[in-house]
Amino acid sequence: MPEIDENRSLPLREVEQLVELVRESGVGEIRVRRGETEISVKARPEVQATPGKDQVPTGTQGVPEVIEPDLSPEMDGLHAVRSPVVGTFYRAPAPGEDAYVEVGDTVSAGQTLCIVEAMKLMNEIVADVSGEVIEVLAENAGGVEYDQPLFYLRPDEQ
Amino acid sequence: MIGKVLVANRGEIALRIIRACRELGVRSVAVYSTADRDSLHHELADESVCIGPPPAASSYLNVPAIISAAELTGADAIHPGYGFLAENARFAEICERVGLRFVGPASGTIARMGDKAEARKAASEAGVPVTPGSEGPCGSVDEVKRVGAEVGYPLVIKASAGGGGKGMRVAEAEAEAEAAYLGASREAAANFGDGSVYVEKYLERLRHVEVQVLADSYGQMVTFPERDCSIQRRYQKLIEESPAPCLPEGVREGLMAASEDLIGSLGYEGAGTVEFVYADGEFYFIEMNTRLQVEHPVTEMISGADIVAEQLKVVSGERLEIPDDALSPDGHAIEFRINAEDPGRNFLPQAGLVEVYNPPGGPGVRVDSHLYAGYRVPPHYDSLLAKLIVHARDREASIRRGLRALDEFAISGMDTTLPLHLAVLEDDEFRRGGVTTRFLSDRELESEGGLLRLVQHFG
Repeated sequence: MPEIDENRSLPLREVEQLVELVRESGVGEIRVRRGETEISVKARPEVQATPGKDQVPTGTQGVPEVIEPDLSPEMDGLHAVRSPVVGTFYRAPAPGEDAYVEVGDTVSAGQTLCIVEAMKLMNEIVADVSGEVIEVLAENAGGVEYDQPLFYLRPDEQ
Repeated sequence: MIGKVLVANRGEIALRIIRACRELGVRSVAVYSTADRDSLHHELADESVCIGPPPAASSYLNVPAIISAAELTGADAIHPGYGFLAENARFAEICERVGLRFVGPASGTIARMGDKAEARKAASEAGVPVTPGSEGPCGSVDEVKRVGAEVGYPLVIKASAGGGGKGMRVAEAEAEAEAAYLGASREAAANFGDGSVYVEKYLERLRHVEVQVLADSYGQMVTFPERDCSIQRRYQKLIEESPAPCLPEGVREGLMAASEDLIGSLGYEGAGTVEFVYADGEFYFIEMNTRLQVEHPVTEMISGADIVAEQLKVVSGERLEIPDDALSPDGHAIEFRINAEDPGRNFLPQAGLVEVYNPPGGPGVRVDSHLYAGYRVPPHYDSLLAKLIVHARDREASIRRGLRALDEFAISGMDTTLPLHLAVLEDDEFRRGGVTTRFLSDRELESEGGLLRLVQHFG
């Protein structure tokens, strides 16, 4: 039984075509909607995840917050480092100390990027590829879910 | 009333709990695995947290992830539903230790009732009849033989840590005692990591009856009229009804009083179910489930009580609010478990896309389900798709209502147990009432013009 739901998985070929179209046409952005699926392709440098979508619901609104992995930057060659546990996200080893990494830093595979604390256990989250830190997606000392994107890295050219 | 409850479950029971929370004005937090991103419990809760990948061991049984999700969302209590962590004493203890209220009895009570030999002893000490057999665990073949000489054969040897028919062997005569003892003990050790067993007289023709109980921290105890759950397949209940048909006068009062004696002796708090076997006019305690059960709506239909809401009141330190007339049955209710299993192919589990979903409606019909058209049933969890509960003036009327509602129920995209339920309701012996747990194993399923029919085999 395949785990991937065809209804939810992105039509990769169409995304590829859109990326091509954006590149060739020179327009800033193309949006396509079909049924429930909406694909938006933006030209660089505006590659950004929607702010606010990446936090564990804080419970101030009456509506359920659906957290969907934002795949579009990954289509642009970015690699998401995701949280392997539910917990609290910390950018630095201890309060007052420097963050493990900043946007623009070059990191190597295996290098610690942050800590996710769960039940007093400090889980060091490491880069699984080498590359440049493009964006930090979670807020320091905020909650993160399982599978939530924490960083976008641009992997080194092989 | 507590402010926020984390629901550590999925499927229909997670929805059931979220619904109770909403009616009480309590905020709810759903937890879900990545296989349940499209599930209704995740959509309907006030907040939700993804806790892990599809396998239950990494998500719905993942204690650190669930506790972290409760802490991050500021939940006051955790409702475990049924299955998963519902009868895990260690989990309840961790909740107690980190200051989260566990919706259920104290961890010590869960542990005590989870050990079947110990539960038997507790019942016996409370004056509740238990099946003739050993006092506590049996440590040797000689002990088994001594019990056999006393109560007679056949005997059944059961795992103390067991359930669901695992670690269970029948000895028809003393010559089989040794093999049965060793087999049960070996299987118990392999399945539960604990090889201890106890011995009971084996009752071949029995009915499964049980009593829903509720108790609060002020010493108020409520026991409801019994449910009959004798329609089972491989120890899995398929149909439950209340009240039990064809019980002689006085048995109900006996069951309810025995259940109250047991929970009183335990200092029980919350909802639970005391399970009995009933044979030849006598009932015997078998075990106690220290949690909400799948079939709780049957009791809700004939009593008007909202058992989940009462659980939430108890965990908030409030008093139970059960009207006195809830304790004598109002009409008759039957629940059918609609599972994603193909009765035509030895109950092969099904998974996949629900194409059409049209639940029945009309008077006296309740459907508890997490399905919707377009929902994909993941292959990782149990096969329960929906519970159909019908309620009517008496048993005959509720059987007619059941036939009507089952016939209306449309689920396409996978095979389900719907046709089996129709076949059971058409069976003469079932209609007369009072069948034993052997009902289904005594019958063959035959396909007849697209419909299923049960044919009893003799001899």
